[in-house]
Amino acid sequence: MLKYGFVGPALLLLIALNIFPLGYNIWLSFTNYDLSGGDVKSVGTRNYREVFNEPRYAAAIRTTALFVAAAVLIELVLGYALALALRGEFLGKGFVLTVLLVPMMLSPAVMGLFWHLIFKGDYGIFNQTLGAAGLPEPQWLTDPGLKLAACVIVDVWMWTPFMMLISLAALNSIPRHIYEAAEIDRAGAWTVFRRITLPLSAPLLLLAVLLRTTDALKQFDYVMVLTGPNDAATQTLSALLYQTSFGSFRVGLGTAYGFVVLVAVIAVATLFTRYLDRLQRSR
Amino acid sequence: MKIVRMALIALYFAVATLPLAWLVITSIKHRDDVISTDARVVPGVEFRPTLRAYAELNEPVKGKNHSFLHFLLNSALIALASTLASVALGTSCAYGFSRFRIAGARDWLFFILSTRFLPPLAVVVPVLLMFREFDLTNTRLGLILLYTSFNLSLSVWLMKGFIDEIPRAYEEAALVDGYSRMQAFARIIVPQAAGGMAVTAVFCLISAWNELGFAMTLNNDDAAKTVPPYFQGMIGKIEGLPWPQIAAGALLYVVPIVVFTVLVRKHLLRGMTFGTIKA
Repeated sequence: MLKYGFVGPALLLLIALNIFPLGYNIWLSFTNYDLSGGDVKSVGTRNYREVFNEPRYAAAIRTTALFVAAAVLIELVLGYALALALRGEFLGKGFVLTVLLVPMMLSPAVMGLFWHLIFKGDYGIFNQTLGAAGLPEPQWLTDPGLKLAACVIVDVWMWTPFMMLISLAALNSIPRHIYEAAEIDRAGAWTVFRRITLPLSAPLLLLAVLLRTTDALKQFDYVMVLTGPNDAATQTLSALLYQTSFGSFRVGLGTAYGFVVLVAVIAVATLFTRYLDRLQRSR
Repeated sequence: MKIVRMALIALYFAVATLPLAWLVITSIKHRDDVISTDARVVPGVEFRPTLRAYAELNEPVKGKNHSFLHFLLNSALIALASTLASVALGTSCAYGFSRFRIAGARDWLFFILSTRFLPPLAVVVPVLLMFREFDLTNTRLGLILLYTSFNLSLSVWLMKGFIDEIPRAYEEAALVDGYSRMQAFARIIVPQAAGGMAVTAVFCLISAWNELGFAMTLNNDDAAKTVPPYFQGMIGKIEGLPWPQIAAGALLYVVPIVVFTVLVRKHLLRGMTFGTIKA
């Protein structure tokens, strides 16, 4: 019985604050519950029909997909390139590496507010830098075509270090003797990269992509702080979810919608945990 | 080749540190120097540096009853208390899974991990209704409970990795010497796992410190509000913001995190992959 004393408290707390709310959420999604008051009654599947027929939801799915694809892809390529560049020793490597890792630990909401100042069209430092390099200086946070790009830029700034960190671990785990063998065979640099470096670092890169994707799917903080939850250009799934329950107070609809999002996230998360399980067993 | 690599690193380093450097520079400016159309970069030459923004942090901004320091205190109390609780619960839970045969242990562990992937917005409404029932909205205790449970997944997984690395022979010897299981846990395992607990604590602390979604939906007044929702609330009046003050506050808010990042830099990868990659 003692063993349940060790594991029990943590599991109970998780059930009370994660599993119970989830069940409650499903029940609410079949009602007309409204945060501004009124009688609560069952409405059958009406909320779900509304979720699947409402064009705003389809738009939010597209916005989220675009955001996730752009952010994760740029972070992967940039992070991997940086890791390749950081291979080998040079003076001050430890310092450079530590500084580069800092952005991913910072509060997205707090830094996001400050990015407003950086992005300012006329006096922001971002545009001043672009201008100095002879590039155009667009209105990042007021031009509807660029708002999502601004969110991607902040995400890339914050999360490229994470891709870089996992890529470095992947590169360091490749045994040196394989490279020595390739050298004896006089393989060219490109062949070595394509036949050895890339395939052998791929398993950890996939782990990084899955982890970043589940995180980016939930993206909420920058959108909330860069444009607010009700901006058509950047309304991701989480922002629309917030807007439905807390902006329009339609909790019944919001919870139905939350459940649909949850199923999507669980699908990706299941891929992730399965993969994690396999990686752990193979090590 | 070496030149290309160094150039890439130097370029990225410059771009990535620019927002942080700008944060420092903005925090020592007068408001007029912030919104001038020419970038004023070098303190003492292009603008007159001042520490006024820092002194003003204990004054409420227009339309608020509390100053930045009130929100900072909430953040600190909530992050510290929830970190202590999740490390304590997580260590004990990880010990249970590491040392005993528990039916369905693997499934339980993956269930614990899966709670990490719940989007906060998908469970926040029921949590809000529960909290209203127990008078936990607008209280620090409410957020402490929530962050404790939210961080348990990380804490259990990281601590399981650390405890698995401690040889069983140590506690077995203690048990033979007449220690009870609890004594062996408290006097053998906890001291051995202290380093791992510190690393775990840093990761829990950072995620509680940075959290926005729950903090903004469960607080409709400022009593228990933390810094992230306080800052998010400012975007409605972005044009008139006292930017030097914002920068000074943001800087104070991120400096502890930078310090912690440096302290745990060798364990960052482990922390961010739930203990999967131990390099």
